[in-house]
Amino acid sequence: MNLYPNAAELLRAVAALLDDEVMPAVPAELAHKVRVASNVARIVGRECELAEPAANAERLALAGLLGHDGPLAELRSELSARLRHGDPALEHEAWRVAVEVTRQELAVVKPGHDRWEGK
Amino acid sequence: MTPGPVGADGADLAEGLTKVLSETWGTEVEVANLAASSAGARRRNVAFDATPSGLPAAELVVTVVPRGALGLNSVTAEAQMRRTARDHGVPVPEVVVASEDESTLGGPFFISERVAGETVPRRVLRLVHETGIGELLAGQLGTALARLHRIDPADAPDGMLDPGARPPSEAALEDLETSMRELGVLDRPALALGMRWLERRLPGTPDRLSVVHTDVRNGNLIVGADGLRAVLDWEGARRHGDPMEDLAWPALRMWRFREDRFEVGGFAAREPLVDAYLAAGGDFDEERMEWWKVLGTLRWAVGLYAQASAHLSGTFPSIIMAASGRRVAEMEWDLLMLIRP
Repeated sequence: MNLYPNAAELLRAVAALLDDEVMPAVPAELAHKVRVASNVARIVGRECELAEPAANAERLALAGLLGHDGPLAELRSELSARLRHGDPALEHEAWRVAVEVTRQELAVVKPGHDRWEGK
Repeated sequence: MTPGPVGADGADLAEGLTKVLSETWGTEVEVANLAASSAGARRRNVAFDATPSGLPAAELVVTVVPRGALGLNSVTAEAQMRRTARDHGVPVPEVVVASEDESTLGGPFFISERVAGETVPRRVLRLVHETGIGELLAGQLGTALARLHRIDPADAPDGMLDPGARPPSEAALEDLETSMRELGVLDRPALALGMRWLERRLPGTPDRLSVVHTDVRNGNLIVGADGLRAVLDWEGARRHGDPMEDLAWPALRMWRFREDRFEVGGFAAREPLVDAYLAAGGDFDEERMEWWKVLGTLRWAVGLYAQASAHLSGTFPSIIMAASGRRVAEMEWDLLMLIRP
């Protein structure tokens, strides 16, 4: 598919519409929903640009931990099950990988949230 | 409170309030100046003034609860708990009347005095940091929690939520495990790590079980220039709980609203809270508090996941519920930082 403009560009346009033109025109009880919708459009826009490389990195990291490759969803479930039932040998490295994966997710859903590394 | 439009049924509400207060006070009452206040998605709070004939106007607020809410206190139990807490020196707005009657205002309700001050978290933080009352506020919160936790659970009202004989930590962990299984949240390594962490460090029953509020945090407090004026939202209070749950909850990152340096609600470090808690007779246990911080963060992650799931299943279709799913990663980050090996 050669679609132009691309998804991220269109979602930015949708978010701008919601912020600049829809927001001032909606009744107060709708404002929160419109704000959330605009944020969702921005999140999905970032996802369009970041998801693919992030998913590859995640799959490689999980495959490294588990010692075999596979579809990402299956690797996630397998690692979660092993951690859930207690696999101390895996935990330290799994924590490190989870931090990296979560950083990638935050770059999509909440950029900057990972700047605070305290409790 | 930020005033807003009351909605199409504002006239009906005014009529219902007039009826309720006339019966309560045994005199004619005039109701005016209805204004919806910013509130949670579930409950409806409307500020108004009520003038009994020949007397000055009373500034009040009515909270109407949707019917059929599960896992929460009835409004009468909540109102009675508010009275009990107030009697023990916890700042709580005085309840005028509470009723399970759904026919007058469209749902069970209670009416209480309106306490002036800020409740919206970012506005609370602006006030706190402009006036330099962060430590004062944290201290007042510590005192209020110690007073709450000194109440004999036997004095809590009938019908209050009670996890029963199970130790609170075990009950909380089991409930969390059940929700995760029911929701099918089985593919998130960060949450699995969190669950293992909690299991390994599971604390036993504390020396003394306490009445707990379970939702004390920035957003459920009324704050003025003189600090803490009231603790709100007692719908989740329980008869028997681990007091450290109430100290951990306001210290979670999600209630700091970007003021991350200030552990307690974005307004102060932990020390003034704990010092005041101890000074007012509370027993502080740091390890236990850390455990409840991890539990609370994980539970919130699962709660957000459940909201997105309710949207997808059609139980509660809403863009807000759907978007909650995208906040799980924030909680996972906070969780990972709390359980750093």
